[in-house]
Amino acid sequence: MSTLRNEDFKRLLDSIPCYITLQDKDLKILWSNEFHRRDFGEPEGYTCRDFYNIDSSKCEICPVHNTFLDGNIHSKEMTLITKKGKRINVIIYSSPLRDENGIIEGVLETAVNISPVKEIQKQLIMLGQTVAGMAHSIKNIMMGLDGGIYIVNRGLEDKNQKEVREGWEIVLLNFEKISQIVKDILYCSKEREPNFAVVSPNKIVSDIYHLFKDTAARYAIEFKLELDETIESAVLDPDGLTNVLSNLVSNAMDACKMDIMKDKHLIELRTKKGVDGAIVFEVADNGVGIDKELKDQVFEEFFSSKGDKGTGLGLMVVQKIMREHGGRVTFRSRPRQGTTFVATFPKREMPQPAE
Amino acid sequence: MPKKILVVDDDPSVVKYLTAFLEDSGYETITASNGEEAFEILKSERADLVTLDLQMPNETGTRFYRNVTKDKNLKDIPIIVISGLAGRHLAVTKPVAVFDKPVDRNALLKVVRETIG
Repeated sequence: MSTLRNEDFKRLLDSIPCYITLQDKDLKILWSNEFHRRDFGEPEGYTCRDFYNIDSSKCEICPVHNTFLDGNIHSKEMTLITKKGKRINVIIYSSPLRDENGIIEGVLETAVNISPVKEIQKQLIMLGQTVAGMAHSIKNIMMGLDGGIYIVNRGLEDKNQKEVREGWEIVLLNFEKISQIVKDILYCSKEREPNFAVVSPNKIVSDIYHLFKDTAARYAIEFKLELDETIESAVLDPDGLTNVLSNLVSNAMDACKMDIMKDKHLIELRTKKGVDGAIVFEVADNGVGIDKELKDQVFEEFFSSKGDKGTGLGLMVVQKIMREHGGRVTFRSRPRQGTTFVATFPKREMPQPAE
Repeated sequence: MPKKILVVDDDPSVVKYLTAFLEDSGYETITASNGEEAFEILKSERADLVTLDLQMPNETGTRFYRNVTKDKNLKDIPIIVISGLAGRHLAVTKPVAVFDKPVDRNALLKVVRETIG
C-alpha cells in the first residue's frame, strides 16, 4: 500500500459514495471529495454551515466540534439541502485527523445518505400507528357489541321482543363494522387480481343503497339514489365496486355525523356515464367537508381524521381498487359545506377466457 | 328521587348500552351525542354525574370538559371519562375516573355508586 501516491489517495476518497469533508476548528472546509462537490459545490472559503444550509440554531450539537474537543468519533443524524434544493437525510460521522505528534489538525466529516432508510422508517411508524388506531377502533366496536348483547339479554329476561330486536340490531351493526375493517386489512395486505365480470352497476349501487338505508335513517340522514337508467352493463370487479362504494358511503355518513352545524343532512349516491364509455359513481354529502390543510393527506396511507373511530385504511383500499381497474377516484370539498367523491371506472372489454 | 346521569357519546350503541345499564342500576339518564349538545343540556337541566367520551369528532368532548370545569355552576359535577384512547384523559384535568373502552360495567357502577350514591 505504501506505493500509493498522493494522487491515488485523492482518487480513492473521491470515489467513496459518501460526502467527505475535512474541516478546521472554525468548521471551514479545507477539502471535500468529488461526491460532495457534485451535490454541494466547490468548498473554497465556505464553512460546513454555509454548505448544508444550516441556520446556527439547528446545530447545537456539532460532532466536528466535539471531535476537536475530545478526539473521539461522534455521530449525528441530520437533514441537508443540496445545491439543487433536494433534502436528504444523512448520518454524519466525525473523526479526528492527527499529525505525527498526535495533535488534531483537522476533523474528517463523513456523511452517509440514509434517505431510503428514513423512508422505510416512516412507513413503519405509520404502520405502527395504524395498528394502534385499528386496535382502538376495535375496542370501540367491542363496547358496541357489549352493549348490544346487554340489551338482547335484558330483552330476553323481560320477554320484550322489541328490545331483543333493538339489541340484536346493535350487535349486527357492530359486527358489520368489524367485518369492514377485516376486509380493508385483507385488501391492503395482499396483491389480488380483480375478478372482472359483466355486471349491472346500477344493481350494485342499489344494493349498497339498501344496505345503508337503515343506518342512514338511524342517524337522521336523508339518503338519495340517483341512477342513470341508460347504463346497462359494465365489466368490473363487483366486490371491488361494492367495497369502494361502501367505504365512500360510510365516510359520507361519518362526515354528516361529525357536522354539528347543519340541521338536515343528505347523502346522494349517483351513477353517471363518463367519457369514452366510462362509468362514474358519485357519493355526495353535505357533512363537515375537508379542511384545506387536510386535502393533501386524504389519500395518504393510514391517514385518518376520525381519531380512534377511523383506521386510515378505507380510502387506501378505495384507491387500490381504482388502480386495479385502471380508474381513478377524486373529490371536491368545501369545508363545512360537504364533499363529493367521484370514482371513475374506464370502459373495459371482457377478457377472453384463456384456452 | 333517583340521581340523574348525563351520558355523552357519539356512538348510539354506546349511549343505548350505558343508559340501559345505568337505568337498570336505578339511575335516571339523559343523553347527548356531542359536547356542544351536552353543555346546552347542562345549562337547563341538572345532572348529578356525567359519563363522557372524549374521543368525539371535532374534539367536542375535550371542549365540553373544559367548559364544564370553568363554569362556576357546573364545575362540581363529577365527570367519568369513558374513552377508547388510553392516556387520553391527560388532555383534561381531574376526572373522577377514567375507563377504557370496552368498559367494565361493574367497575363503572362501583365508581358511580361511590361518587353519587
